[in-house]
Amino acid sequence: MMPNLDLSAISPMIFVAVGAILLPLLEVLLARMIERRRSWLGRTVNREMASTAIVIFTVLLLVLALLRTVGTFDLPVAHFNLDHPMIAVDQLTRFLNAVLLISAILTVLVSSRYLADIGMDHGEFYALLLASLLGMMLLGAATDLIMLFLALELMSIPIYALAGFQRSSLKSNESALKYFIIGSFASALLLYGCALLYGATGTVELAEIARGFDPENPLTLLGAALVLVGFAFKIASVPFHQWAPDVYEGAPTTVTGFMATAVKVAAFGALIRVVAVGLQPGAEIMYGVFWWLAVLSMTVGNVMAIIQQNTKRMLAYSSVAHGGYMLVGICVGTQSGYAGLLFYLLVYTFMTIGAFTVLAILTRDGREVSRIDDLAGLHETHPFAAIVMTLCMFSLAGIPPLAGFWGKWYLLTGAVERATAIGDTSLIVLAVVLVMNSAISLAYYLRLPVVMYMREARGADRPDATAGALQTTVLWVCALAIVLIGVVPGDFLILFGDYDLIASARVAASAVSP
Amino acid sequence: MGIWDYQVVAAILFMIGVLGVLTRRNIIVMFMCIELMLNAANLSLISFSRLWGNLDGQIFVFMVIVVAAVEVAVGLAIMISLVRNRDTVNIEDTSLLKW
Repeated sequence: MMPNLDLSAISPMIFVAVGAILLPLLEVLLARMIERRRSWLGRTVNREMASTAIVIFTVLLLVLALLRTVGTFDLPVAHFNLDHPMIAVDQLTRFLNAVLLISAILTVLVSSRYLADIGMDHGEFYALLLASLLGMMLLGAATDLIMLFLALELMSIPIYALAGFQRSSLKSNESALKYFIIGSFASALLLYGCALLYGATGTVELAEIARGFDPENPLTLLGAALVLVGFAFKIASVPFHQWAPDVYEGAPTTVTGFMATAVKVAAFGALIRVVAVGLQPGAEIMYGVFWWLAVLSMTVGNVMAIIQQNTKRMLAYSSVAHGGYMLVGICVGTQSGYAGLLFYLLVYTFMTIGAFTVLAILTRDGREVSRIDDLAGLHETHPFAAIVMTLCMFSLAGIPPLAGFWGKWYLLTGAVERATAIGDTSLIVLAVVLVMNSAISLAYYLRLPVVMYMREARGADRPDATAGALQTTVLWVCALAIVLIGVVPGDFLILFGDYDLIASARVAASAVSP
Repeated sequence: MGIWDYQVVAAILFMIGVLGVLTRRNIIVMFMCIELMLNAANLSLISFSRLWGNLDGQIFVFMVIVVAAVEVAVGLAIMISLVRNRDTVNIEDTSLLKW
């Protein structure tokens, strides 16, 4: 019997997979050309040409995948294999894929120069990045526990290697090791949860699990709990967040940016699908769990971020706090809640990549600008980087009219709408906690602009920043996205047709919401 | 032995794995405990597959075996790069990053 396959449904994923497979081969080929002193287009191939070729190839594939994803956004749900639909390419998948691809493109553009600066300019970086991206794209699309687990591992394993990419650095080693131990521990918990859910319901398909879900059965509850703990580790939600600051600090800066954004996007995408489809009958029990996770993540993340001296650790705790904000969307659990969460993921990607790009630019000769005080006087040495960093910080703090404000706005309106609809005060409490936490977060977000603009650079420690052209482009993209989404949150990107971001997020959320 | 006996064995193995990861300080032993957890889940999946009489659980197990092998490859590579730079496999010696 011929399987009924639809390759066009997963074409963006195929682009990424092809890149992940071809890049190591291209790297070897180019290394050989350098060794043999071959010439191409009249010039002897050297290391710079080789890395430029690899970056161009990677970005080309990613842009093609992105265009394909955005171009097919309005099409109906497509399945790769109609007989056994393990992957659903619906609006949710396409929205997540677009955000993931944007994050990957920005990371690749920053990385080429950054990797040369830390002396690790190897092509396998991009291959690992694409392999991980493929896992993320599949994770958001998985409608089956087997696919979910496989995609989760395909996402995580290359990221462990990327975290330890700076082989000679002890910090990078340690970061990779911690991430590896914690990450595989979380995966094993999730796997056992999947096994118990399968045992309780006799199926691995999320939709079927919802049908067989019995809130009275301890097997189902334990399985669901273990799956949720696994996810909580991946999104670094308090009390499963301890690894995040260590891993974020030790990993190469551009990898940290990718981890902080893409891993969160993919894990939240999968969490939405699992919660809204597979575990839907247990929504009331899970609500309490998510409520506490959200409150704890927001509060602990923000309070811990205040006392940090290291910029990357501060951003790590800030990302824990933002994970808490996003969990509010999961708590709300309606279409507008999920739409707010998806919109927040998009906005968060630009803000965070922007901040990490500035840090990556400041790295010179393998020496990182780690302490917050090291940023003193940045407005003199690199005014544009200082402006972008300030924009990112204001946006992360949620100051209107920047993009971060609208992200929080949609989360809050979702929570309040739902609370008034069902007359539940605990959601109002959650919304109040969110607002209070935004106020707390100002304490550390505003510290960076203060240091950058109001303190003089100290002689030898002056942040020396000469950004490459690609890195400057990324700064421009992030800054423009933050301002434009902020000023016109409704119909953003009018240049590309009548494209309404929050409406797209709503459409995406409607793919799974009841 | 019935299916639930296998489940009990799987649960015990899983608990040994969890406790091992949480209490042991040798990275290799911690890593072996994670493998033990994966295999406990495999045992559980196989016997549930028998209970429900479908093949989903067994297919799942094949995938998990592959993933476990991949994890070993990457995990050992990470450990070797650590041992090269610093001659230790004790997790408490790796404490550059804290607070």
